[in-house]
Amino acid sequence: MTDQELTVRNKQEVTGGEATRPGHHYHPDVDIYETSESLWLWADMPSVDGKQLSVNLADGMLTIEGGVGVDDYKDLEPVYTEYNVGNYLRRFTISSDIDVERIRASVTNGVLELELPKAERAKPRRIEINVG
Amino acid sequence: MTLMRFLPEYDPVDALLALQRELSNRFDRPFGLDLGPSGRGVYPAINVFTDREGYVLRMEVPGVASEDLEIETQSRTLRVSGKREIKTQGEGSFHRRERGRGEFSRSLQLPADLDVARAEAACKHGMLTIRIPKNEEAKPRQISVKAA
Repeated sequence: MTDQELTVRNKQEVTGGEATRPGHHYHPDVDIYETSESLWLWADMPSVDGKQLSVNLADGMLTIEGGVGVDDYKDLEPVYTEYNVGNYLRRFTISSDIDVERIRASVTNGVLELELPKAERAKPRRIEINVG
Repeated sequence: MTLMRFLPEYDPVDALLALQRELSNRFDRPFGLDLGPSGRGVYPAINVFTDREGYVLRMEVPGVASEDLEIETQSRTLRVSGKREIKTQGEGSFHRRERGRGEFSRSLQLPADLDVARAEAACKHGMLTIRIPKNEEAKPRQISVKAA
């Protein structure tokens, strides 16, 4: 696995009116990792806490949405900026069968960690090859 | 122009859009701020604000805990360093890898009229905020007018 250096990239804005909250939305950077047991997803959403987060899985579509508040910017006047702030939104189609009851979500230091355990029938099965 | 002063009532719907517009207007254009050798492109990206007390710097550092941050000041230069680690879960493979990892270190030249020794930093939910008050002499002072 190559090491990915920390770089500054412009946030990608979400186009199209799909969000439930107002304001420009941005895609959070995401890592998706699959083991035999579960699908894992980590999303960088700085300044989002658990209360502002919503995770939804319906009809094979996973939607993660994180809200940022403006209260922290009251009385502040911008002098020089390098990045914009906004709510986070990202959608993925999930082809695996997920056991929705056992989905676990947690937020630490602005990173959402999502564990999507696979349903029993979706777990990988080794197929025996008979040599005739 | 301060964001919130012009809104007759505080409306959260307009407030976010107003903030985004203000941030966009100042993008890569230091207003009255002598950055010197500093500039964009170094991780983490910094937004610089002023309030009544002095300067407020904001940086997005998701996945970085307060213990992993080191903030140093030396005369007019502020340096923010840290590291961001990524954990994986057991044996598996990536479908997507977009998040960076590793160490970072960024320096920023600050205005001369700041009392850098009294800077305060707090990191919450991956957002680092550094407040640096102005020197006493630089603060606005009322001069009373005596009736002659």
